[in-house]
Amino acid sequence: MSISNIRIIARLELTQRLRSVGWYVLLGIFGVLLLGVTVLAFAVYSWADFVGAGVFSIVVNMVLLLVVLVSPTLSGNAINGDRDAATLAAVQVTAASTGDIMLGKLAAAVATGFAFLIVAIPFLAISLLGGGANAVVLLVSLLVLVVEIIVVAAIGVGLSGLIARPLFSVATTYLVVAGLTIGTLVVFALGGLAVRTDVEQQSRPYDANGIVDCDSWETYTQEVPRFDYVWWVLAANPFVVLADATPTEFNADGYPVDMFGQIKLGVRTAQQPPVEQSWDECSNEVFEYPTPEKIIASTVPSWFVGLGVQILIAGGLFAGAWSRTRTPAKRLPPGTRIA
Amino acid sequence: MTGIIVDSVSRSFGSVQAVRSATLRAEPGRVTGLVGPNGAGKTTLLLMLASLLAPDAGTIRIAGVDPSENALAARRLLGWMPDALGAWPSLTARETITTTARLYGIPVPDAAARAAQLLELVGLRDLADSPAKVLSRGQKQKLGLARALVHDPQVLLLDEPASGLDPEARIQLRTLLRSFAAEGRTVLISSHILSELEEVVDDAVFLVAGSVVDAAPGQSTGRAWRVRLLGAEAARQNADSWQVAQTLGLPIESLGADRGGVLVGFDSEEAAALGLRSLVQAGLQISEFAPAQSALEHTFLTLNDPAAAAARSAAQAPPTAPPSPPAATDNGEAGA
Repeated sequence: MSISNIRIIARLELTQRLRSVGWYVLLGIFGVLLLGVTVLAFAVYSWADFVGAGVFSIVVNMVLLLVVLVSPTLSGNAINGDRDAATLAAVQVTAASTGDIMLGKLAAAVATGFAFLIVAIPFLAISLLGGGANAVVLLVSLLVLVVEIIVVAAIGVGLSGLIARPLFSVATTYLVVAGLTIGTLVVFALGGLAVRTDVEQQSRPYDANGIVDCDSWETYTQEVPRFDYVWWVLAANPFVVLADATPTEFNADGYPVDMFGQIKLGVRTAQQPPVEQSWDECSNEVFEYPTPEKIIASTVPSWFVGLGVQILIAGGLFAGAWSRTRTPAKRLPPGTRIA
Repeated sequence: MTGIIVDSVSRSFGSVQAVRSATLRAEPGRVTGLVGPNGAGKTTLLLMLASLLAPDAGTIRIAGVDPSENALAARRLLGWMPDALGAWPSLTARETITTTARLYGIPVPDAAARAAQLLELVGLRDLADSPAKVLSRGQKQKLGLARALVHDPQVLLLDEPASGLDPEARIQLRTLLRSFAAEGRTVLISSHILSELEEVVDDAVFLVAGSVVDAAPGQSTGRAWRVRLLGAEAARQNADSWQVAQTLGLPIESLGADRGGVLVGFDSEEAAALGLRSLVQAGLQISEFAPAQSALEHTFLTLNDPAAAAARSAAQAPPTAPPSPPAATDNGEAGA
């Protein structure tokens, strides 16, 4: 394996892209989109004290969305596309090893994802003008974003080496990525709603005159969805990983200041089992709901499990493609020709 | 330098047996032709030689190196030109060569010099900076050849290099291949254009249904020769046939006709030479006397005859001698 060969192969791959007009149009559209998102994000967070932190989190999530939406198209035919064009064998017959080819392709796919991040840099910079952003938050969220870009790229390159036809491998890459982003959400929602349990609730009865009876309790049961059984499904969602891994800043009232924190709060709240509730109108005690800060502090982080699952999927597919691309080839993916 | 040695190599794809226990040698300093019908396993065999495909059984040596054990060493020694060039769509011809050179570990300045030299050699200098995807089929073949030569390989594997080339380029290719052989390199070339192949190869290997077959018995069978009298034309066809039949003492029904010429069957080259002498001695003005088929073509066609092939497959043998002296078939149009 040689760094020089990996670089040549990655550059070969990127040259194809850099010389197509469509690529620049795509980046241009993304820039315009980000401009709109940034303006709206400023409006959304204008009420808060930490405008910059909020806008920054929205722009980072937008970049992740774009990577998830566009990367599969660009990486999902990296290997079988070359096989179809008969350019893969031309590289395999040189002194470049299978590892050089695989890592070169991966590097090119990752670089493509980075291009979106680079377009987003001015908007990230503008968001910081809003103030309130924390350096650790910036660093960690960007780091997680980079890891997610690599994961999506590896899934695409991996499937393109395992599936013979580019069309199917691109579609399958989309399915896997959509499985992580939308699929986890669907399973979470359906699973939580399908499994319901009875929870007892108490309140003071009222008499015919509308006077509270402080001597007795009225008990009734209610079916509630059990999201606490299925919350872990969300762990592998890229947006949840990003939100959950990023340290959260809270305002004076204990509310998260950015979108990362708000998503994290949503997932952490789902971890809480339903509790028996009682409303006592006769008591002067004010029932205090736990603040988001307390909820987050009392629940478990899941991002490393989710990221682990993603890395396992991406790594497995990539390793499979690596062994399928090895030459001299013993087995070929069905329906492929070497040259 | 041991050239190419293939020893009982087999390869199947699922239930399809593409190459069956093939054994052959290609010597350094010689051009060896790989001949066989479509689907005979030529490309599969070349892919195995090019270290891209692993044989199921048997061994391969490329200049002494086994590509299954040390693919990298084999790749540094061999140059492979596929039957269709996969061109990187947005690279120019020059970049295609320099990129390939870089992948062989050739430093940038040397790669640029090598690209210029090779593009000049294959006659693509004027198109050096056009995108490879706009090249015509023949130009792509030239680019493919230049790419195969980039690291100065000792063993050349060429899969149908002449297809799509214009006559001038074919002659250049022939000269090029001869000069490689003269430098002591090993050249293995597959082609369907047998008359072309015949002009360049020293040895021929026949591949039928994945097996190497011995073509020697094919030589002894008779073949047709084309005899043309001076000023022959369609109107004179019958008169010419009669004259030739009369002179050679053959029944006129045994003679064929071909574009004004007369087709005569001779059992051997000796018989043909004797026939020519008697025609000349009889005062006939012969303007052409040549085999109606190239020797390779003749052998190739008899190989496809199943009855003949069955008899032959029993006696498999490594490479065959050149089918006939090249002078006898040179261009087929030389006057006698």
